[in-house]
Amino acid sequence: MFLKAELPWNVVIPAENLDVKGLMLQKEIIIRLLDEFSTKKATKDFGYFLAVTSLDKIGEGKVRQLTGDVLFPVVFSCITFKLLRGEILEGVVHKVLKHGVLLRCGPVENVYLSSLKMPDYKHMPGENPCFLNDKSSKIEKDVMIRFIVIGTKWLEADREFQALVSLDGDYLGPVA
Amino acid sequence: MSGEEEENAAELKIGEEFLKAKCLMNCEVSLILEHKYEQLQQMSEDPMNQVSQVFEKSLQYVKRFSRYKNPDAVRQVREILSRYQLAEFELCVLGNLCPETVEEAIAMVPSIKTKGRAHDDEAIEKMLNDLSLIKKFE
Repeated sequence: MFLKAELPWNVVIPAENLDVKGLMLQKEIIIRLLDEFSTKKATKDFGYFLAVTSLDKIGEGKVRQLTGDVLFPVVFSCITFKLLRGEILEGVVHKVLKHGVLLRCGPVENVYLSSLKMPDYKHMPGENPCFLNDKSSKIEKDVMIRFIVIGTKWLEADREFQALVSLDGDYLGPVA
Repeated sequence: MSGEEEENAAELKIGEEFLKAKCLMNCEVSLILEHKYEQLQQMSEDPMNQVSQVFEKSLQYVKRFSRYKNPDAVRQVREILSRYQLAEFELCVLGNLCPETVEEAIAMVPSIKTKGRAHDDEAIEKMLNDLSLIKKFE
């Protein structure tokens, strides 16, 4: 689910980037914020960070004694994305493996649909491997699939989420 | 897997922050991200280089999975769904998946049928009709 969140953050402006003109300072704070926002990529609690939509508040700066850098507490609004357990979503197959398929959903690349979670589909090897069921419904690369999220995992080192999904339920499967 | 064993979106058991936070439909995110991208395009020759991978992948995704493209239609979808006492989360799932039948709608958002809530099949049917009308006239 995509969310609009309001977050408090601290932005540190190095001493050498400080300028006497107030307008330049505001610009510097925005540049820093945007930069840190995209470097951070995601957090366990909020999910992926897509885009800052507005800078709502800049608090009073505090000088750091040793370096002379100034720390500004800011509040901004942004768009985030997080997969929730039990949520029904749509994604695109980008890899067909022997024991399941990998899907892309929003910014998440590793959404795994195991063959155990689509028991009526059988793996068909070949140049363009796919999964087929009795009703000739086909799951192959670039097919759009509606699924339910059964688990998510946060990988701290990669700042990334993985998800396990299933087709077990009504109205789930490939969509036209 | 997930640390919060209790979380289950099907029963609307999701974190406080998700119940209160403003959820966004794919089509709404698409409008916001495309607008951001256009702004970047005016400022730089190579805008794709200016955006994060998260931004790029999300933009591709919402473009592909938006049922409504026209900004007026997007606004109307939210307006219509807002009349039905839905949680933010439920509203967005319905707007994203656009179920065609009452049965499908309940399968996508089982929590709308929980006890004590005023959604009978007729009300859901009317909601789906309203939605499909927007699509037709978009």
